[in-house]
Formats: sequence, C-alpha cells, structure tokens
Amino acid sequence: MIKVALAGQPNCGKSTIFNMVSGINQHIANYPGVTVDKKVGRFEYEKQTIEMVDLPGTYSFSSFSLEERVAKDFIVDEKPDVIVNIVDASNIKRNLYLTFQLLEIGVPVVVVLNMMDVAQRRGVEIDIQKISQMLGCKVVSASGAKGVGGKEIVEAIISTSKNKDDYKKFKINYEELEPCIKIIEDIISASDISLNHRWLAIKVLEGDSSIIEKLDKDSNNIKEKAKIQENIFHDTYDKDICAFLATLRYDCADVIYHKTINETKLGKSTVTDIVDKFILNRWFAMPFLFLVMFLIYQLAIVYGYELTKYTWPLLAGIKNFAIDVLPVTNFIDIPMITGFVIWMINSANALLNYIPIFFILFALIAILEDVGYMPRMAFILDRIFRKFGLHGQSTLPLVLGGAMVGGCAVPGVMATKGIADERARMATILTVPYMNCLAKVPFYTLLLGAFFKESMALMMFFISTSTIFIALIMAKLLTSTVLKNRETAPFVMELPPYHLPTFKGVIIRAFQRVWTYIYKVMTIVLAVAIILFAMLQFPGISDESQIKYEVQLEKSLKVFEKKVKKSKYYIEVNTKEKVSALLNYYDGYRAKRMTTSSREGAKSIDEKYKQKNQNYFKFIKPKKDKDARIVNKVLRKLSKTRKRILRNIKNEKVENSLLGMSGRAIEPLTKYAGFDWKINVAFLSSFAARESAVATLGTLYENNKADSLRAEEAMAQNSGYTSLHAVAIIIFMLLTPPCIATMIVVKMQTNSYKWMMFAIFFPVFLGVFISSFVFTFGNIYHLNGLEAMKYYYISIVSAALLLGLFPQKLMNWKGGFLKKP
Amino acid sequence: MTLDMLKKGQRCEIKKMHVKGKLMHKLLDMGFVNGSVIEVVREAPLYDPMELRIQRYLISLRKSEAKTLEVAIL
Repeated sequence: MIKVALAGQPNCGKSTIFNMVSGINQHIANYPGVTVDKKVGRFEYEKQTIEMVDLPGTYSFSSFSLEERVAKDFIVDEKPDVIVNIVDASNIKRNLYLTFQLLEIGVPVVVVLNMMDVAQRRGVEIDIQKISQMLGCKVVSASGAKGVGGKEIVEAIISTSKNKDDYKKFKINYEELEPCIKIIEDIISASDISLNHRWLAIKVLEGDSSIIEKLDKDSNNIKEKAKIQENIFHDTYDKDICAFLATLRYDCADVIYHKTINETKLGKSTVTDIVDKFILNRWFAMPFLFLVMFLIYQLAIVYGYELTKYTWPLLAGIKNFAIDVLPVTNFIDIPMITGFVIWMINSANALLNYIPIFFILFALIAILEDVGYMPRMAFILDRIFRKFGLHGQSTLPLVLGGAMVGGCAVPGVMATKGIADERARMATILTVPYMNCLAKVPFYTLLLGAFFKESMALMMFFISTSTIFIALIMAKLLTSTVLKNRETAPFVMELPPYHLPTFKGVIIRAFQRVWTYIYKVMTIVLAVAIILFAMLQFPGISDESQIKYEVQLEKSLKVFEKKVKKSKYYIEVNTKEKVSALLNYYDGYRAKRMTTSSREGAKSIDEKYKQKNQNYFKFIKPKKDKDARIVNKVLRKLSKTRKRILRNIKNEKVENSLLGMSGRAIEPLTKYAGFDWKINVAFLSSFAARESAVATLGTLYENNKADSLRAEEAMAQNSGYTSLHAVAIIIFMLLTPPCIATMIVVKMQTNSYKWMMFAIFFPVFLGVFISSFVFTFGNIYHLNGLEAMKYYYISIVSAALLLGLFPQKLMNWKGGFLKKP
Repeated sequence: MTLDMLKKGQRCEIKKMHVKGKLMHKLLDMGFVNGSVIEVVREAPLYDPMELRIQRYLISLRKSEAKTLEVAIL
C-alpha cells in the first residue's frame, strides 16, 4: 500500500483534487486529540492500493497554528511514502514557500500545478519541465475543477514511490546560517528519527516546539544548544533566524518564478478585482451581505421547512408501521414495549425532521466556502465583532444559529470550525446556542397566543432581536473572564480569488456533514430519550386510580353494548376482544388518514383498510347502511372516551413520575420566576428535543371537559398565569440551554466535556436568575407582561452597547513600537 | 511611517517589522518580509481592517497589526 499525504496552502484547490482522485471512497475522522478533520481516501490503481490523507491547508510547515502542528505531526509520526503538494498555478510564487519546506523533509514529493485553466486565463505561461528540473521532483499539471489530471497524478505517485530510493535530496543553501545548521545536525546525529536530519536541524533552529520535544528524548538540552546558535547568529549578522529563513525562501521562490514563468497579462484587473469593487464597496458591502444572509435563511429555513412537509409523512409512516407490528392496545392498557418504541421513534423523528433543512444549509455553506465569500464576510464585519471578543468569521455561525427569527445551533456550532482565533472560536461556540432556535418558535407562539393576542408582532420582534444582543453580551463576558487567557490569533487572513464551486464537491461535503449529524447526534439523543422515558414512566399510577379508570371504561363499554344491540351487526361486536380490535382498527385508520391530505392518498388508505378487514370497514364508512351507522356513531364516542381516559392516565403518570417529582422538587427555587412544577417538567422534558416542550405543556393543560379548546386557549384559562408569568417563561426559554443535539456538537467542537457541562448549566442559572429578577421586579411595580418585556429589552440592548466600549485584551503575540527595548 | 497610515491605492515597501512571537511567524509565512512591496487595495466598510496586495495575492490586516510594520512609500 502506498501512503500519500496531500499538502498545500489554503485555497489552492486541494480538496477538489482530493475528491477527483479518491472519488467517494473517503471517510472523515479526527486527528487524535484535536477537532481538525482528517479526510482519508482509499482507492486502487493498477493493483496498487493507495491511501491518501488530506492534510489541513497551511501556509507554512512550522508549528504555530493547530493545523500546522497536526500536518507536521502526521508526516513525522506516520511517515507517508509520498507527499503530494498541490500548488495554485496562478499564484506559484507564494505557494513555493510551502513547497520548499515540504521538499526539505526528505520524503519524495510530487508537485501538482492545479488550476491550470485559471492560470491560462490570466496569461500565466509556465515552463513545467524547468520547474521539475529546478525542484528535482515530478511536476504534474492539473485542473481539479474541470476534472483534468487525475490519472497523471496517480501515475506520478506510483512511479515516485517505486523509485523512492533514488530520490535526490533537495537542499537550499542557507548561506550564513549553514554553520549553525551543521552544528545542530551533528548534535542530533544519534537520533533514530528516520527523517532528513538537515530538515530536523532547521526546524530546531526555527524553534519548532514539537520537533524539539521529539528530539529531546535522544539528545539532552537541544533547546539550549539551539538557543546558543541563535544568539551567535543574531550577534554576528544582526538577523533573526526565522525572518532570515523566510526571506531566503521567498528569494528562492522569486528565482524560480523568474526563470520558469512568463506572465502576459500582468497588471490587468482580474475578475476577482472587478467583483470585489462591488462586493467590498463601502456602501454596497453591507446591503449585499444582508442579502446573502437573507437568501440563506430563505432557502434553507423557509423552503427547507416547506420541504419537511413532504418528508414528514415518510417519518410518520415509520411510526405507523411500528404501531402496526407492535402488540396492540387493549382498551386502556398500552403494552410497555409499544409505548417505549413509539416514544423512541417520536424522539428520533423530531430530529430527523430537520434533515432537509440541514442538507440545504450545509450545501449553501459549502458553496460560500468554495466561492470565497466567507473571508470577505469576516472582512466586512470584523470591526463590530472584535469589540465583543468575537471574530469576523463568527458572522455565519451566529446567522445559522438563528439571528433571523429562527435557525439551528447545530449547524451554527459546526460552522465555527474555520475560525482562526481560538478564543473567538470558543466564544462563538458558547454563544451560538443563545440564538433563536427554530424549534422554540412554536413554544413562543403558544405563549403569545395565550397571553399577548394584541401585541403579538411586537413581542415576536423583541424575542427574535434580543437574542443577538444576549449573544454579544455573553461573548464579551466570556472572553473577559473564563476565556480571558485563551490564545488569540492575529487577523491576517487571505481574501482568495473567487472560484466557481463544483457540484460534486458541494454535494460530498453536504452529505458528509449531514451524516456526522445523524450518527453522532442521534445515538446520544436516543440514549437520553431512554432515560427520559424511564423517568416519565416510573413509578406509574396508583392502584386506586387504575381501578377508577377501569370503572370509567366499563361504564362506557356498557353504554356501547346497549346501543349496538339495536344493530343487526351486533354479532360482530358482542365480545370485548372484538370491540377492542375494532377500536384499534378505527383509531389506526384515523391516525393514517391524518398523515395524508390528497384524495389519492386517502383512497389508497381506504383500499388498504378494506383489504385488512372488509367487515370492519363498513363501520368506518357506513354510507347508507343504517345498522352500520349505529355502530359507527357509538364507536366514535367510545374512541373519544378512551382517548380522554388515556390522557388522564398520562397526566397522572407524569405527575407521579420521577420527572414530575423533580419538577416539584425545584419548584421552591423556580417560584421566584413564577414557574410551577408543570412548567418545570416541560423544560426538563424538552432537553431531548425542544419540540416536546409544547407537547408536554399541551397535555398538562388540556382540560378534560373542554376537548375542543385549542392549546393556547386552554393554557390561558386553566393555568392561572398572568402575562408577567408568560414573560418570565419566555425569557427563561430564550436563555436556557439548547437541546442535547447542540450539546453534542459543542462537545465535538470544543473537544471537552467540561465546556459542554458549562454550556448546559451556566445558561440555566442565568435563565433562572434573570427571569426571577424580571418576575419579582415586575410584581413589585405591577408591570404587565409587555411592559416587563420592554424594560428587559432596553436593558440588554444598552448593556451590549456599553460593553462594546471596553477594549479587548489580546494575548500571545506582541508587536508595536512601545515594547521596543 | 507605519502601514496603517497609508491610503487606498498607495504602495510601499516594508523596511522593518516590529513584531514578535505568533504574529511575526504568521506575517512571515504570509509573505511579509523586509523588502516586500505592499499595495493598499481598500479599507473595510467600517474603516478597519484594511485589504492589502502582497506577493500577488490579497490579504486583510487589522490596523492594530498594520501599525507594527515600518514602511516607506514607493
């Protein structure tokens, strides 16, 4: 097997080449201990197995950023047979800076000149033979976006790996530095690291901490010895080693550039220049950015949501299938296994329902990444975000999280991956969950419908715009307290030339991200769902209640019996078993009928049920059959009664359950915010997925006598809440932790359970505190809900603006004239 | 004169870099070495950061960082 490492600077089209060469035979893992993606592709060519690892894109090969460290550790530890270096043919000079560092390692290199079509368009003529000669390695030309050069690359890899032993070592003459390199090389000669010792010596002199660590095992005090050489060099030539090396490498790149390249269109504006005149224009940039954000929102959230209307019946179909095959309900006795499986399917469906939205969202992000708009977005908004300890690159995660009415924190947190500044990245991960979750919207609608009928629009405005201010406040607080000493990175960011994205690349990435969501998130959500199920199920209802409900059922069955006796079909429903089967048949039909609205769909369900049981079907659709109509009428009534009893049982079960007890247990604490145990239970059960909050509240407040009341009406009448209560609940909901799915991606992105726990508990305490404050304050001054919300909104907006005035502390890098010795 | 003082469209050459640590390495890797020629392409809509052309590509740099580079106008 040939092991290949794919290296290249960012924006050189590396992943396009990777996709072209390895096709869809790839999988994503993480590099050990870090959150950097490791893409591995494995394929066969002429009976040779090739394993290709896509290293993170880096400008250089030192260890000053996480990506560089990861890339270098991979080469040192895994010792690939060949390094493939992707070079942007339209910008060779800068790319060669990395190429030299790769060549020095001593592992055979194949240079791929990518984007040859772009280079040609820009009038760059390249003497490939000459470059190959000067670098002493194979050079292949390709154009990943056009699908050109894949075969040549693979052939070059195989032939280079075959002739591995004849590989000529590449050497740059570092002139004045050579004596120092020689001394260090001699010191480390005993080391058994099988890489080029000259390269190791150069790395040691650069102060590369991970190489020094590796060498320190064999030769002691290598660091001090390097320091001595560094001082000697500095004293003799008044030059810093790193700056000296960089300058020399750029000079060498310049030499190669001048000898091998001829540019015919030098000085002419490129397409990128012209487009940027509009996109980054002082007056046009902001409106355009807003338009892009709006389009993402519209396409993914709004149309994606439309799409879920078509995918939902599929998910409902799974549930109905499960109901069909599971043990049936015997009147009010639901078998535990049936209840459990349906609960699990409901929990899974609640999350799977969002997959169309996620897929569109991830595809759009991939397009933005490929086109090159992402860094420009950061460029436009950096000044605002920097004031709060965030980064220009925090824009997209916050928008996805729900800066406009609703979003989802899961893709938002996943999109923080590219943020260069570690502190800003952490702050973004921890603040995205404060944004407006799409699944919270029905909950707000329920409360607004119940308590704020007249001022719904204004309240919705407060709710949806307050989140961004909360996020900014939290970012500022976090970066000036717990994250204060985290590494920050200087904002030195390339604005790459615009490229058309490839369809294949976008689709592959969207699928990969959706898949990550499914298998990482779903497993844990299901585990939590099991726990919640148990907590809602046990200890169950008391024996007396059980008897009470059975008596109720008996009574209604007697009524049923009495009435159907008049029908000539009495013989078909004269035993309990028969009635139970018919009742389940009827309820099953009703449930299936609810999932379709088309006439054809309804017809096919009719057909199915006719086939299932011809005798029973006449009771569902009696038409002109008078005797069947009698049965139909009483059957409907019986079904209604059974539903009511089941609901009462469920209510009582929830009330007695472990979760219900927990809700009661924290009531003394939450009463200051005006929450009773029912609200507490709703919040607790919403942890698996937000959607269940509405469902739980719905069941808890349904009034038995008033079946026709809608949930919000029932809540307004039966809860005894005022609008101030509602505001306290809304504020808590705005601040409370995101669902378990988000917590898992927070864990994935921060790579720490500690931060995940922080992300869960801190918002809860904050939420309880602020909503208690608002509720108590509102009670003292006799405010109504709307007034309380207004005060809350004004306070957080002014707090955010005030905090923005404080300067931000920058860590881990220094500069400027003040510190000059 | 430092880089942040330049206006849109001006070109300059790096004379001396007053930086250390991470920022120095980052700048070196991105092509900021003594003698490199820089062109100020534009400022961001909110006046900071600035967009520069160096070694034939575009880069954005905050003014606070640009302040550390001593340059001479060409």
